[in-house]
Amino acid sequence: MQRFTRKQVLAGAAAGAVGAAGIYELVDRLASSPPARPEVTVAMPEQHLLDGVRVVTSNDVEVLVPPLHHQVITARVTADRAALADAQQELTNTLAAIDADYVPSPAGLGVTVAWGLPYFRRLVPDAMRRYLPYDRRADRPVIFDAHRFPSDPTNTRLESNDVAILLRSDTHAHIDDAAKRLQDTKLFEVTSIRRGFAGGGFDGGQSLPKRLAVDAGVPGSELIPDTSELFLGFTSTQRAGMGPGKIANFETLGYVDFRGSDYFRNGTHMHLSHIQEDLESWYLNFDFDERVTTAFRPNLEVPQNTQTVAQGPKDVSTVVDVRRDYRSSQRIGHSASIQTTSRLQHAVVAADGTVYPKGAAIPVRADFNTLDNPFSFSVIADETSETPAAGVHFIVFNPTGDDFRRNRNAMDGVLPGGTIPFPPRDRNQGFNSVLQTTHRQNFLVPPRRNRSFPLANV
Amino acid sequence: MKAVLAVLAAACSCGLVASGCAEGAKKAEAAPAKQSNLVCSNHTAWQRLADRIKAPVYCPGWLPDPLIGAIGNRWNNINSVSADRSYLESFVWQETGGGAAGGELHVNLRGYPGRTKIPTCRTGGAESIDVPCFADPHGTVSERGITATMYTVNQDADEWHLLLLWRRNGNLYTLSEHVAPPLTYNHVVRYLHQELRSLILVRPTSET
Repeated sequence: MQRFTRKQVLAGAAAGAVGAAGIYELVDRLASSPPARPEVTVAMPEQHLLDGVRVVTSNDVEVLVPPLHHQVITARVTADRAALADAQQELTNTLAAIDADYVPSPAGLGVTVAWGLPYFRRLVPDAMRRYLPYDRRADRPVIFDAHRFPSDPTNTRLESNDVAILLRSDTHAHIDDAAKRLQDTKLFEVTSIRRGFAGGGFDGGQSLPKRLAVDAGVPGSELIPDTSELFLGFTSTQRAGMGPGKIANFETLGYVDFRGSDYFRNGTHMHLSHIQEDLESWYLNFDFDERVTTAFRPNLEVPQNTQTVAQGPKDVSTVVDVRRDYRSSQRIGHSASIQTTSRLQHAVVAADGTVYPKGAAIPVRADFNTLDNPFSFSVIADETSETPAAGVHFIVFNPTGDDFRRNRNAMDGVLPGGTIPFPPRDRNQGFNSVLQTTHRQNFLVPPRRNRSFPLANV
Repeated sequence: MKAVLAVLAAACSCGLVASGCAEGAKKAEAAPAKQSNLVCSNHTAWQRLADRIKAPVYCPGWLPDPLIGAIGNRWNNINSVSADRSYLESFVWQETGGGAAGGELHVNLRGYPGRTKIPTCRTGGAESIDVPCFADPHGTVSERGITATMYTVNQDADEWHLLLLWRRNGNLYTLSEHVAPPLTYNHVVRYLHQELRSLILVRPTSET
């Protein structure tokens, strides 16, 4: 029998539901009080790191509690080369004023200004050639144009924004205030706004993803576990699964040649994508055991309805493990396949003396769920919709663009030493059959000291 | 079985629905009728089924409009008894078209005489494996003396359905409904309650 796809007919399902824009207006009303956070007073040299992140224990696993609310503004720079120095000063002042009002933590506001290749190429091309850090492993610059991966649809849009500004906070009003101040500068022509949320259920209440998806009438949302950090029902911010400290900095693991300048030291690479999630298929077609297999790895036994699964160094899968599991089950798990490239293969002592042990995670993820379809606002007509849709704005910081590329390839079975062949978006290939990437772009995140129009002053 | 479903579902498509597409869609959204005296439509056919499998069967006294739970009527696209005496009675209404113009109502009733264990299904495809036909229990539902467990991940003709499963006197029974427009998950849960409440037990003649 032919089934209607769930995407086909949303009129009935969404009847009575609130549109995406309206849903976000409910966020502060629905959110319980912001969680207690550790005190923080010092802004780190890195823009991409947040201090004051609370750690809780879930199923005996340490978990980092992400900020509740998130927003990404992408934009085109309005200034031309002649006006760049003035623009740099104005943005510096605006960001300093925001910093003065909000501590750089989830309790205050995290601001990360990331710059795309179109900015560097159009406005600082000469300086870019001299200063852009170089990836020794990949033998190419640390940032390059995004491309589609094997499981991406052919129509995944590869974007070309000048800048992406990530705002994160437990209090939505902090984000709104900063966004307004940045837009009031007239330094940017906003190309898109992407909004979302994560967590909110670690203290036992219903999480934001669950509450907002149900309120929006998203198909499948009723089956999201009540306290789930994200739509897909599993915790994803296990402390051991997130890159510790400065591991994702350009300079930490020795991947990057700064070419004689410290301009970008304490910086990193950021990948931004939007991915639609088919929650109804996930919860009506995959039973719990298959969801565990898909999200983590085959042959992993965890108690029914567990949300937080250990991801420590002893739980890390190697290429040998993934291939063995594939031989026995014809499947690969999402986490296990990525771990073959995202975890340290041996201990590393960084230049600052910090020891990063074997098995430590390298990427620092900052992804969050969304009901944008695919964006809250866009200058492109078909990039917004009144009908909410479940998805994730995926943000990850890696030491280089190539490091991200290796991890994302591994998710598709492209492992070190050979590829496990799957048809695109095969059900046996991790999450891919319920995910659909709509947009991608790579960015460079300068250190805090050079976050405003980088290289305009050299 | 899927081929049969496809053929019979096509017969239920828009052009053949007497009430017309728009009216049909409206009916599908309508709230369940208030239960009064339950009547088993085409009781004779249900009796024949009970006699054939030598075990009681459940006749639905109410199905969402326009479905009527009479074996052999236009909505009854599967009337199947397997060699192990298990049966599947499927009732489907389907209209093609996008948005509110399209939709499907699909209710399955199954019985497995002489067994209480959840059967095993094949997933199909090149790497077909054995899986429980009904998985991911989500609590229980009680109506008129039947306490059923709701399963959310189901196979074969019950794929994409929410399913209620219960046992009676050494037999296993299920009632399921497709989560598909115009119904949401919550609609289907509400309908399953109503359908479970409406079930009429038809015993084989040898037991009466």
